[in-house]
Amino acid sequence: MADETAAPAAPAQDSRREGIALAVGVAGWIVPGLGHALQKMWGRAAATFLTVGVLVILGTGMRGNVFSSSGNDAFDALGFLADLGTGTFYLAARSLESNGADVSHAGGDYGTRFLATAGVLNLLSALHAYEAARGRKA
Amino acid sequence: MSGGMGFKLSHLQSLLLFAVLISIAFGFLSRRRPIDRLKYIVWSLFLFLLIGVGIGWAMYPFSR
Repeated sequence: MADETAAPAAPAQDSRREGIALAVGVAGWIVPGLGHALQKMWGRAAATFLTVGVLVILGTGMRGNVFSSSGNDAFDALGFLADLGTGTFYLAARSLESNGADVSHAGGDYGTRFLATAGVLNLLSALHAYEAARGRKA
Repeated sequence: MSGGMGFKLSHLQSLLLFAVLISIAFGFLSRRRPIDRLKYIVWSLFLFLLIGVGIGWAMYPFSR
């Protein structure tokens, strides 16, 4: 009888934990490093925030292309998705690129890669925070 | 450049910055102990530079 009453509690707890983990993952995507900060992983939180932040600042400073949703082809759409990975830093990148992109020089091309890398890196970090919140070894 | 930031970096400076930043992020995300992180960062940075410069030299014959 004791087993019968204890059994349904585990899935409910799992479901709650999954919800929290999802919220942590989304928080990590919106603000780089926040997913780890919520779990008191300060080193990882700081490393993610600073790395993504510096990559975005360098990328826009080098006049990289910050893709928008009104892209013309699949590559623009992929670039937009990658840039969107930086979360709120995407908005910062849009406001920082006051002179627009200039990919006619190598610097601008590097800047575009820096921005895309910042987004993908932040997504990786958010996924890591999500897995850690689920209880996986991290 | 007027009215905003402007970074003019060479290819090597860009490669170095990129490699350092990504190595630090990878090191912190994938390792827990400080010494393990440091080892991972140094090793990752070395491989980034080795492969980056290696690919650069591999493309050299086709650059002219």
